[in-house]
Amino acid sequence: MLKFQRTKLVDIVNNGDNTITVHGILDDHIYHIEIDLVIGCDNLSIQAIQGKWLRSENTECRRAIPFIERAVGIKIDEEGFSQRINKYVGRKSCPHFANLIIECCDAAEDAIQVMGYEAARVENPGLRFEGFSSAGKSAAPPQKSSNRPVSLPVEQREAGVKGTPLQRDERGYYVDLHMHSYPASQCSTANIDDLIVEAKTIGLDAVCLTDHNHVWSLNDVEDLKQKHGFQVFRGNEITTDQGDMLVFGMYQDVKGIINLGDLRELVEAAGGFMIAAHPFRGFLVFNTSQIGMTVEKAMQRPVFQQVDAMEVLNGKVTRPENDFAAQVAAGMKLPATGGSDAHAISDVGRYVTCFRQRIENGEDLVTALKQGDYKPKMYHKFRQQGEHDAG
Amino acid sequence: MSNLLCYARNRSTSVEQIDEGTVISTCRLQDTLTDAEVTIRVRLPELEIAEASGTFQRYGPKSCSQAANALKKIAGVRIGAGMKKIIRGLLGEITDCDELAVLVEECCHGVILAFTKEMLAQVPKDIALEKEFFANMIKENIRLYNSCAAFAPGSPIVEGIDPP
Ligand SMILES: [Zn+2]
Repeated sequence: MLKFQRTKLVDIVNNGDNTITVHGILDDHIYHIEIDLVIGCDNLSIQAIQGKWLRSENTECRRAIPFIERAVGIKIDEEGFSQRINKYVGRKSCPHFANLIIECCDAAEDAIQVMGYEAARVENPGLRFEGFSSAGKSAAPPQKSSNRPVSLPVEQREAGVKGTPLQRDERGYYVDLHMHSYPASQCSTANIDDLIVEAKTIGLDAVCLTDHNHVWSLNDVEDLKQKHGFQVFRGNEITTDQGDMLVFGMYQDVKGIINLGDLRELVEAAGGFMIAAHPFRGFLVFNTSQIGMTVEKAMQRPVFQQVDAMEVLNGKVTRPENDFAAQVAAGMKLPATGGSDAHAISDVGRYVTCFRQRIENGEDLVTALKQGDYKPKMYHKFRQQGEHDAG
Repeated sequence: MSNLLCYARNRSTSVEQIDEGTVISTCRLQDTLTDAEVTIRVRLPELEIAEASGTFQRYGPKSCSQAANALKKIAGVRIGAGMKKIIRGLLGEITDCDELAVLVEECCHGVILAFTKEMLAQVPKDIALEKEFFANMIKENIRLYNSCAAFAPGSPIVEGIDPP
């Protein structure tokens, strides 16, 4: 029996005044919405839009209607069009209206091309569409990345005295092991200096920069340390085909989506350390029982055989998702870490990893991670309400 | 005056659970230019794409004619947060055909919506209870706060819930 069906219909009429009218319908088991758009054929911008609900998820969905107007003025061929609609209409209005607008505008681009072809055929009746479209306007292909990740020659080892005995620190040594700065991470709003100042202000001992697929140079990190008189480490959050990995002690610049096994090889060759970042982010949107997920089944996922540790306190996931990760890590006897995953200043230090020893440099950080003598902590709560561990 | 269409599109996604551990999701696109289809087989409870296949039958963008071969790259990808970047990245290594990624994403959204539908079957008919149901859902998953108009400040659903 069918569990779910969604149909989207788009009809387009040429108004004959250099505009087209686009009518879109999205009808599925949960939602039924309709929109009407007017799009200019010359400037390719959305001139007018109207929408209505026929069925929705809840009574308050009707609030979405006025915000659909935010699409007016946006050019349908501009770079990042879908992201813009998702951000301006999806989050303010409704993601399903955004989905239908994107579908309608994609169809509108095709339709304008078809109209151009029909016009050209009046002059040249033998013209085929394939010939017309390849000779005429064609969208720029997306940037193509190579099959294998690009590796740039960057130093493999942090400076530092190898084998320095790690000093015992009674209070514990608090490191926010996961954070993002702008512009190294485009999704972050936090300037690197402000991140470090905040970490220092709230009493952390160190931060680790883990910008997405980004290698911080040793010199830049040294400059930051000097400038702020504060310990700064460098890591890298690398997207693999099996999800995001926090990597330490491996400084190759990986671009594109790397295969998890290939990344594991690179990390091992460099003597580095790899942590599964937010391993159950978005996983528990439904009841785990609904899809039959259990801790035991999660422990069998091959991805967790390839990592050295698991992030079980991440500031960007829900409590049940963190709790579930903690149970899986405990079940697998994998070391557990915490990090804020800060994308804004206010996020810094929400969760941290508390080491037993002081850590002097990047090489020591990798050594300490391998020794496994640390715990994830809720740092803000720790300060206000006493100590908490994960799980 | 006749108001003939200059262009028409129909995109349909269907999701079927064939056994306890397997869901099949198919997205078919038929429009003035293109006739294409992608099917993914999804393993439960991991929500992982076990297999993907597809065809481009009628003229679409030139880059799409052989694109379906790229689908083997996405085996093993998990459906959920962050999937779009992974799917686009993996397919983009082999093909410039954007439509292929769109078809896969629609299949994946279909799977998520199929489970969402089951959850929504629990929503009470009574308006006050409905509000409580969604308020609890947001408290459980605070990322939903301000994620759409119904869950934005000003809506009765989020009354009394602290922003994240
Ligand atoms: Zn992150």
